[in-house]
Amino acid sequence: MTTLGFIAIAAAIAALACGAAAVSMSIATAHSVDAIARQPEAAGKINSSLMFGLIMMETTAVYALLVSILLIFVLGAAV
Amino acid sequence: MIDLEVSIYPKYVTLFGVRLPQSGIIASSVILLLVLGLVVLYFCCIRRFTEKPKGLQNVLELAVESLESFAKGRVGGCARFVAPFALTFIFYVFFTTFVEIFGLPPATEDINCTVALGLCSFVMVNVTSVRFRGVKGRLRNLSTPSAVVFPVKVLADCIAPFSMGIRLFANVLVGGVIMQLIYAVVPLLLPAAISAYFNVLHVGIQTFVFALLFLTYTGEAVEEAE
Repeated sequence: MTTLGFIAIAAAIAALACGAAAVSMSIATAHSVDAIARQPEAAGKINSSLMFGLIMMETTAVYALLVSILLIFVLGAAV
Repeated sequence: MIDLEVSIYPKYVTLFGVRLPQSGIIASSVILLLVLGLVVLYFCCIRRFTEKPKGLQNVLELAVESLESFAKGRVGGCARFVAPFALTFIFYVFFTTFVEIFGLPPATEDINCTVALGLCSFVMVNVTSVRFRGVKGRLRNLSTPSAVVFPVKVLADCIAPFSMGIRLFANVLVGGVIMQLIYAVVPLLLPAAISAYFNVLHVGIQTFVFALLFLTYTGEAVEEAE
């Protein structure tokens, strides 16, 4: 396999973390909806802490995407 | 082969024989326009404020009040001190990223800009905490629930600005890359629709997230130790 092929595989593996972040976001959202259904008066507090958690998960996904973009465009351009 | 222009390094332009960072030029022009707009707003509207609000005064008061109540939910008593800084971050991040819609390179696509923003927020978090709780209160806040967590908390606080900076930078960069990919594959119609998301809504979300992170970190820093 060529070096470019290895870089493409590495980028694909790095981008897998986006899937993990999506799954964790769905779990968090599902649980917050559960909590709001059980206790509608706490919706504001639940929403704000959900937002913070979602931001953290999204950051992970973006880091993964950044790594894969760097692999493609910086490492790939150097080959 | 699609020809893309992607670089994580800051770009420089030579103006009148001086090598200047591109993001700096964009950011300072945006700030100049914003200050100009503020001066016009001051002389046309704010100086003529009346006891009974009407017209634009209503809108301005609503905006300030809603931001302050939003900040109050996060940081409690020091909302009046923190809210102006949050608004400054909101304006800066939003408008320096929003220029992408006019075809200009956004200033936040430069990692120096975003990490500088993160460091500004780091300084503000500590200044607010020391101002409202004192140096002793800040140290006690860092060592709750026990002194063992002190190094970990200090480390987490020092990493936060870089995390904020890198996430903003990466979000803007990734948005630009995706737009370029769409332009390269479908150059007609579709980019216009997707640009509405990536250049307007995405920018708004990132701005909100930056302000929210700043307020959350401040809220954590000013939390009263038991």
